[in-house]
Amino acid sequence: MSTNEQHWFLNPEDDAKITEVFATLRERYKNYKDPWGFNIDLCESALRKLMPLYRSYFKVRVFGKEHVQDKPYLIVGNHTGQIPLDGMLVTMAFALDISPPRILRAMVERFLAQLPFLGDLTAQTGSILGDRANCEYLIDHGESILVFPEGVRGISKNTPDYYKLASFSQGFYRIALQKKTPILPICVIGAEEMFPLVFHAKKIASMLKIPSLPLSANLLPLPSPIDIYIGKEIPIPEHMTADSSDKEIKERVFHIENTVKKMIVQGLANRRPFFDSIRRPVSKFLIKEFRSKSST
Amino acid sequence: MSQPQKILIIGIAGGLAQMTARLILTEHPDWEILGIDSRDIAKVPPLKGLTSLELKYSRGNFENLFRTHQFDVVYHLGRISHSSNTQNVLAKRIELSVMGTNRILELCERSAVKKVIILSTFHVYGALPDNSIFLKEDAPLRASLRHPELRDVVEMDQICTNWMWKNQNSISTVVLRPCNIIGTQIHNAMTRFLAGPIALSPADYNPFFQFIHEFDMAHVLYKSLKDVPTGTYNVAGDDFIALREALSVIGTRGIPFPIVLAGGLNSALKRLNIDVPDYLLDYLKFSCLISNHELQKHLGPNFLRFSIKEALEMIKLR
Repeated sequence: MSTNEQHWFLNPEDDAKITEVFATLRERYKNYKDPWGFNIDLCESALRKLMPLYRSYFKVRVFGKEHVQDKPYLIVGNHTGQIPLDGMLVTMAFALDISPPRILRAMVERFLAQLPFLGDLTAQTGSILGDRANCEYLIDHGESILVFPEGVRGISKNTPDYYKLASFSQGFYRIALQKKTPILPICVIGAEEMFPLVFHAKKIASMLKIPSLPLSANLLPLPSPIDIYIGKEIPIPEHMTADSSDKEIKERVFHIENTVKKMIVQGLANRRPFFDSIRRPVSKFLIKEFRSKSST
Repeated sequence: MSQPQKILIIGIAGGLAQMTARLILTEHPDWEILGIDSRDIAKVPPLKGLTSLELKYSRGNFENLFRTHQFDVVYHLGRISHSSNTQNVLAKRIELSVMGTNRILELCERSAVKKVIILSTFHVYGALPDNSIFLKEDAPLRASLRHPELRDVVEMDQICTNWMWKNQNSISTVVLRPCNIIGTQIHNAMTRFLAGPIALSPADYNPFFQFIHEFDMAHVLYKSLKDVPTGTYNVAGDDFIALREALSVIGTRGIPFPIVLAGGLNSALKRLNIDVPDYLLDYLKFSCLISNHELQKHLGPNFLRFSIKEALEMIKLR
């Protein structure tokens, strides 16, 4: 069932694209019932509403689409921004710009699952509690999982640490070994600047029993241009198992961490200037005004 | 187990125990069942082969029972419901469920019972926000972490499983942890919640549930006699359903209510002597789904007759 919503802010190509994507996804999920409450109609409706943000506000570009095949992956990347909008944009990229489309199942922090309204909403849009059994269940059902192994440390960095990768936790690699699921490294460039950090309210976070509370001066994200890079698949070594030693796992995780680091360095070299997104429309407007005045 | 058997069913005043007795006697008319309960047994329907006895679960009474009968099989279905948490009931629950179970198991061991089947509950796992999907039998029993008043439920299960492994060479023991049992003859908190004319429907959460019809549960209890070897088993079907959908299947009018406020409301209700168990509120927030793989190994993939929707629709017959 399509939601058939009409949005004045959605251009016809994007509208047609979303309709096509969700026709494919509905076919894919027709015999699947999700025990977390994943709701494809809600996803479609959310995607339509968020599309202008994706296309026009953050101007998302996706590189390395050719590296993605039609199989489950553990998608591992850097976590950036004070509010983790990077996860949402990566999920949108894999639904809209990758073929065949898929809804990534993002692993979220434990505290999020227990929040009223928000816990239910994130579950309905495909997020799951970061737990080994949950991931294994989804991989068995052909789903790809989005993991940010930096965890909360990734989104609560101080300004001088932007784009510096915090060390990766190792749990995801044991899941990959258990299920023999390849790793797909990704990196997101541009999300660190959405919410320039002002203050880490550690005491309030501890009182509220949440892992982190970075406060920013702006309530809405700044229009930082976003680039998503998808690296080449990292296969799982045949000789390793989920019970391999910590030392072996550490080496592999370190290799993945380094791959993401290299992608960040390359991504930063190719990034668009932050003020371009504001400067261009403003200068276009000024030029237009100037021309109209000079003609009169 | 083709020879005539003598079976003791503890908790015969309950609908599930009566259904199990009926199933056993239908299949094996020459078997004998003694049903006991500390509750009134006047409503236990007469059944050829079933003798019912109202009896306090004291040490002396139990000992006499085991001295005068040589039971081959003991069904322990007499766990007192944990749907009420007043201080008196709590003390009674610990006395019956923990001390009583200990006593029963001790006597089973002493009088060389061949098979013991114990009804525990999936509530031992607890409804927690970080529950994994489809909890297996070896998952930690965390119900009393948030709700110490469920101590007896967890403790009884642990006593049974410890005893089961200790005696595994001499006595075959099956501990069953069923999901929500619903039906017309069951009077547990979940059936009352679902079958009422109106129900609080959480606006801020929509957890998933598994339900098993009372007839199916009785069938599993019966099949456990012959087909299920020593072990702990979750009992549930493959299917699951979101709470709001479950209410709409039954036709119960759900009143949307933010369940985060229900804790405060519940405290106020307690002052008016209206007792809604706090642990139940957690089940209205977080899913606690259990895996049925272990039981499927012995009873086959489709061991339940009724789907969740059919089981829910049959609640309307109450």
